Amino acid sequence: MPGLGVLKSLWIALRHFFMTYVDDLRYGPRRRYRPETLPERQGPHGRGVFTVQYPRERLPLPERSRHSPFLVLDATTEALRCTACGICTQVCPVQCIWIERAVDTETGRPLRRPAQYHLDISLCMGCGLCAEFCPFDAIKMSSDYEVASYERPGFLDALQRARKL
Amino acid sequence: MKAPVNLPEIPPELGGNVKIMPLDVFYNWARQRSLWPMMFGLACCAFEMIATAAARYDMARFGMEIMRASPRQADLFIVNGTVTKKMAPQLVRLYDQMAEPKYVIAMGACAISGGPFKEGYNVVSGVDRLIPVDVYIPGCPPRPESLIQGILALLARIEHESIATMRAFQKTPDEGVPVPLLGPDLADWQTLWLQSHPELRAMPEEPVTEEAPSKPGRIHPLEPVPFGDTAKTVLILQSRFPRDVRPLEDGVLVEPRRLSQVADYLREQLSYRVLTNLTAVDYPTPPEDIPEPCIDVVYHFSRLRGGAPVAVHTRVHREEPRLASLTPHFPAANFQEREVWDLFGVRFEGHPDLRRLLMWEGFEGHPMRKDWREAYFEAEHKPYRSRFPNGSKPLTAEARTPFRANIRLPDGWLPGSEGGIEEVERLLYERMLSADRDPHKPLGTEELIVNFGPHHPSTHGVFRMVARLDGETVQHLEPVFGYLHRNHEKIGERNTWLQNLPFTDRLDYINGMTNSLGYCLALEKLLGWEVPERAQYLRVIMAELARIVNHMLAAGFLSNELGVYFTGSLYALEERELILDLFEAVSGARMMCNYMRPGGVAADLPEGWIERAGELVRERLPEKVKTMQTFLLQNEIIQARTMGVGVLPPEMAVACGVSGPVLRASNVPYDLRRAEPYGIYDRFEFNVCTREHGDAYDRLALRFDEIWESLHILRQALERIPAGPIQSHKLSPLLTVPPGETYTRVEAPKGELGFYLVSDGGRNPYRYHVRATSLLNLTPLSAMARGAKVADLVAILGSLDLTLGEVDR
Repeated sequence: MPGLGVLKSLWIALRHFFMTYVDDLRYGPRRRYRPETLPERQGPHGRGVFTVQYPRERLPLPERSRHSPFLVLDATTEALRCTACGICTQVCPVQCIWIERAVDTETGRPLRRPAQYHLDISLCMGCGLCAEFCPFDAIKMSSDYEVASYERPGFLDALQRARKL
Repeated sequence: MKAPVNLPEIPPELGGNVKIMPLDVFYNWARQRSLWPMMFGLACCAFEMIATAAARYDMARFGMEIMRASPRQADLFIVNGTVTKKMAPQLVRLYDQMAEPKYVIAMGACAISGGPFKEGYNVVSGVDRLIPVDVYIPGCPPRPESLIQGILALLARIEHESIATMRAFQKTPDEGVPVPLLGPDLADWQTLWLQSHPELRAMPEEPVTEEAPSKPGRIHPLEPVPFGDTAKTVLILQSRFPRDVRPLEDGVLVEPRRLSQVADYLREQLSYRVLTNLTAVDYPTPPEDIPEPCIDVVYHFSRLRGGAPVAVHTRVHREEPRLASLTPHFPAANFQEREVWDLFGVRFEGHPDLRRLLMWEGFEGHPMRKDWREAYFEAEHKPYRSRFPNGSKPLTAEARTPFRANIRLPDGWLPGSEGGIEEVERLLYERMLSADRDPHKPLGTEELIVNFGPHHPSTHGVFRMVARLDGETVQHLEPVFGYLHRNHEKIGERNTWLQNLPFTDRLDYINGMTNSLGYCLALEKLLGWEVPERAQYLRVIMAELARIVNHMLAAGFLSNELGVYFTGSLYALEERELILDLFEAVSGARMMCNYMRPGGVAADLPEGWIERAGELVRERLPEKVKTMQTFLLQNEIIQARTMGVGVLPPEMAVACGVSGPVLRASNVPYDLRRAEPYGIYDRFEFNVCTREHGDAYDRLALRFDEIWESLHILRQALERIPAGPIQSHKLSPLLTVPPGETYTRVEAPKGELGFYLVSDGGRNPYRYHVRATSLLNLTPLSAMARGAKVADLVAILGSLDLTLGEVDR
């Protein structure tokens, strides 16, 4: 029968629309703004409203989730793990890492720590290669994604922003 | 800022029914809740913006109920993705057309500064050079949450605006931003101003130079490699053309004058019917085995019955290079020869329409030549020496150039002297007026030339079609490319081998997984590395998940473009979110996974991943795919709009070098997973789907057939995946690759995705070429559109399923 396909399509859309409410009615207000219900709502069996009410509730990020790199401070000594070996500057595809190696003022020999460490955050493509290739686990990818700014972002002093894991 | 306002007293007899507040508060409150973003997508970030508008993040919660396709109805301009110089005039014009008060959000690294593609010769160094930006959102791409947070930051800013000081309400007329010009390079108003005041240009600092490492010669073993299909072909060609053909590693070297004969012989006698790849390599200082400086033009021919392609090299002089065009024999050469002309300056004689493909007419130079350097040039190869160990004074690329941007104009060049928009478009419109004329047309009706795009909600991004119409019938159509040309290949040849990995994700940004798989396979071929069993399975799983995402989205967006509006794509995006969750759990990123590595994959699966994926693949996706299939395929309106539209006969499809679902919908059973199996695809049970008619409906339906096959492969792979290592070699940061060349291809969701890599034994690719599926799939577009109605154009284009990131690279 001509037109049946259109009716079927409309029925699918209509059912989808109502199912979201039916599913939520079953749980009532227990599910609204409750982060602990997110895995169920967002999982393969979720049938209710799919929307995450960001910023009032947030999707849990996977452990590996990455946005931009930061330097790591050792948990016990609180010292910088970075030894200024320069491998991160070698692998960075956009070359947004700038390191000045510290130098012993008396002997003039290079030291195993950075004097300056800058990241051009406006270039970073978040690929995570720096963290992957760092032999000392001194640079890690942060998953902090709330980074909007009113000014054009540029060089960040990574030494200032170093933190513990 | 808010001015202090003395509110008048409210008389008590009004009983608290009246409230007085400054107009600003009310006005800002109203505007905060009714921002309308423009439906404008440039590149990868557009997909995160679309995801923000879709079910999971739902921008409508903030009063952005709908995205407007017209700038005149929008007041929020989300610049999402790489702004190219070719696109800059259009972008500024769109901004000028928006109604005041208007706001701009620069989303993603590319919009902020040019991002990963900053050094590219066609990339604008940040959209704030062109138009004022209110909020910047770093990230590549930023998550949908980041975009929402940026929007909230913008709303917070609006809250403090005042009518008294807003630009839109000033008495002095606002003349808008001057539209930039295209000449020898992009000339925006700042550049032109600096050009006319040379004394004001900042003194350029000394560029950091680096000695290029000495190049070992490329070695082509002359004795044939193990006797296979290709070797046989080479022998036959050698005996047929003894004086003009020399054997090379995986193909032959042909004298330029014999080229078309060899190509015809390959097609007619040896059944190499598909010209699958055409590119060039520039040798200004030739390696040992090449006698003199030359441009090496490479053709790859392949057979429909499968097997490896054969490479045909031919060498032309670098000064005034000329070569016979293969386009009359192989229509597939059309765009690829135009690309080689554009980027290398090789003139193809006999080409019907040799215009620049990616850059504009009048652009200075042929940028892929090794001695052509962009304004941001720092050194031949990464890593740059300036970064370590003395990277004390970080220096943006802007600081090093006189125009503070990646722009180079000849001294004294001012608009009007040459170039300008008329000159840029002149050849195109001449072609539009002359092509496909019917001299015997009885009655002359007036014809109309219409531009679709580059900003158009139905062109999948910044793609432009120029159509000559007679009434509603398309007489001739020319696609115009390059609005997202962000110089992958030039940047790729500067990168180290590993640095290219994340860039491949950004080619066809809908399914980054398959792109990097192709690149890794090509690298492994050059390196001779094996891949552990578990990594092979992981690769198949990721690639097939990406295929499902791609096909669902292709179907969803086609329905969107046909006017079903968002329903179809919203359903597809919901499933995409769930698959992207899986990608993020394993790789750390939603879109730009950067997961494949030469010799394996980057990381093993986290705990519980297989179960989650299994639930999705076994329970949810079959149900959803079935629903969507009913929703779209049985719908009579969709059938009426797509059946019999844009018919692509099999012969034409093969001649045009079309691949993937578009080819199979024309009843050519050619799937690289079967024709030239890579990885472990030969161990899985699946069918190569075909359809008979080759119209837009078949292409849509075939994508659903393929989703079912992908689900079948996934079920097998998830069941059988063994334990074990995931990486066969420890990767060194500065990986060196033995000299040689390879053309390696995979069956990406859109078709044959090939990587042509040439190594000179160093740490950087000597040549890095991507055989773009979507570009080749557009070759028959002009022929398919001829005689169609205007409304069918979107159906044809949507059914071809292109991603501009890959078309333009």
